[in-house]
Amino acid sequence: MDYITEEQLDLPGILAESHHPAAGAVVLFSGEVRNNNIGKKVDYIEYESYVPMASKMMDQILEDARQRWNLNIAVAQHRIGKVKISESAVVVITASAHRSEAYASNRYIIDRIKHEVPIWKCEYFEDGTSVWGGNCNCHTETGDLNKHIYESENG
Amino acid sequence: MKIEVFAALKNYFSKEFEIADQLETVADLRQHLGNLNPSSSQLLGMCRFVVQEDLVTDAHPLLANDHVVVLPPSSGG
Repeated sequence: MDYITEEQLDLPGILAESHHPAAGAVVLFSGEVRNNNIGKKVDYIEYESYVPMASKMMDQILEDARQRWNLNIAVAQHRIGKVKISESAVVVITASAHRSEAYASNRYIIDRIKHEVPIWKCEYFEDGTSVWGGNCNCHTETGDLNKHIYESENG
Repeated sequence: MKIEVFAALKNYFSKEFEIADQLETVADLRQHLGNLNPSSSQLLGMCRFVVQEDLVTDAHPLLANDHVVVLPPSSGG
């Protein structure tokens, strides 16, 4: 499975492949396009990526998570191109013996994808305007372009 | 050298372009791009640079035939 795809994400299909005999917990996160942001009505979002680096980084993030939480399964896929309201832009599935590890690792993976992986969204609003949005500005706090503040570490 | 930019940087530069000037380091390139388009300076200050598919620091030396990719802060998900 490609980490970055222009195709619609096949959530049921990916989930069907994410069962493991030693896993008692499977967590699926789907990041979906919502119809509003900063008080404006969103029409759709267009994503782009620097694919060679994004793929390598997602591979490494998933491997880090597998080792840190001893996961049975860790998969993720991000869509690029035009994504409509309520469609999935990113999916992360983790499976482990117990739910604690599956939840924690899933949050860790999506946090790192959002902050570190070279993928960008451009929001198109119903009023005809558009904006490259949601930029990660962690370095203004950490002083380092490669150091980030993760929601999962703030409880 | 060949420069390739993504996302919001396309509001300031062509997607791909060539720079003929002799620039020694990534820091020099960051400064040079800011001089080409001063309104991009704030965003450039937040960007990561990739040379030959590896993330590099500001001190990284540049060669005339390098392919440099400039990455704005991520906003996926």
